[in-house]
Amino acid sequence: MARPRFTPVTNLFLRVGISVFGGGDPTIAILQREFYRRDWLSPEKFAIAFGLARLTPGTNVLAFCAATGWYMLGIGGALAAVLAVTIPASILVVWLTRAYDLTAHSRLAQSVANALVAAAVGTMLGAALLLVRTQSKRGHWLKPVAISLGSFLLAYLVKLTPLQVITAAAIVGFYWVES
Amino acid sequence: MNLVVLYLLLVKATLTSFSGLASLPVVRSDFVVRRQVLTDRQLSTAVAAGRIGPGPNGIYVVSIGYIVDGIPGACAGWLAMITPAFLIIPMLRFLGARAEHPRARSVARAVLFAGAGLLASASVPLARDAITNPLSLGIFAVSFLLIASERLDSLWVMLGAALVGLIAFQF
Repeated sequence: MARPRFTPVTNLFLRVGISVFGGGDPTIAILQREFYRRDWLSPEKFAIAFGLARLTPGTNVLAFCAATGWYMLGIGGALAAVLAVTIPASILVVWLTRAYDLTAHSRLAQSVANALVAAAVGTMLGAALLLVRTQSKRGHWLKPVAISLGSFLLAYLVKLTPLQVITAAAIVGFYWVES
Repeated sequence: MNLVVLYLLLVKATLTSFSGLASLPVVRSDFVVRRQVLTDRQLSTAVAAGRIGPGPNGIYVVSIGYIVDGIPGACAGWLAMITPAFLIIPMLRFLGARAEHPRARSVARAVLFAGAGLLASASVPLARDAITNPLSLGIFAVSFLLIASERLDSLWVMLGAALVGLIAFQF
């Protein structure tokens, strides 16, 4: 696993911060995919960052960015990740607050926003599939599929919170250790 | 409103919640009900502005700060939004030395797979809102295939979707 350089890492967080719509989940999905493509972060570290971010107060995705930035580049990486992912989006949200009455009724803006959210949904599902596929060891598909499917059902049907689902998965992982 | 007070109120709201919009009841209680520096309509505008743009849902606190005190208020809101994120670093330091144990690795992998399930679950309500016609269904399907097959950088997927939305508006 190569240690990434500061500028490409900051650039990745910057462009994800300004181009991903739909909230924190699509942002995490896209970051996961980009880390995987670039071989910047091991699946274990990604998992720890993902799990702990849910336990951290505040906006989970920002804790996730701080954690992954810290893993890759230390405290400077954590700062760069959080600043890059929030500053341009914050500037945009101030502008949108001023222009809200205009954009709320603009059919052009709505058309673009709808297309972006549809793409974000496809991205989330694609990233979820990629996550399971790439992290399943050859011939060991039962645990990934069972935990992913079980987590989906617990969150969607049983309405457990993400924190509860992650805790349940952690307990399963503690007792179900593959050789 | 004093900027330090504004920051402290917003950081209190973000520190006492565990996801973006979960801080909303605390914000409403402090800003709309107790101090009356915001109306419910302004609060709704802030939430809507946060959801229209990119970034996390919790970014609406920047908008709250802006409505209350202009650009300095937006800076206070931004600072309140990012402050709790750094609490994760001491937790990572604590876990770092223990992460290589086989059982710890197994727990980490289980959490990773749970993440895939949670992503899929979170996409369902978004899909209900977003996939409303054949065009959005097409954008969804193409984005899914491109991301799952690793054929294209995600930035191009998003830019392509925006372009399709723009072209669709012309017709």
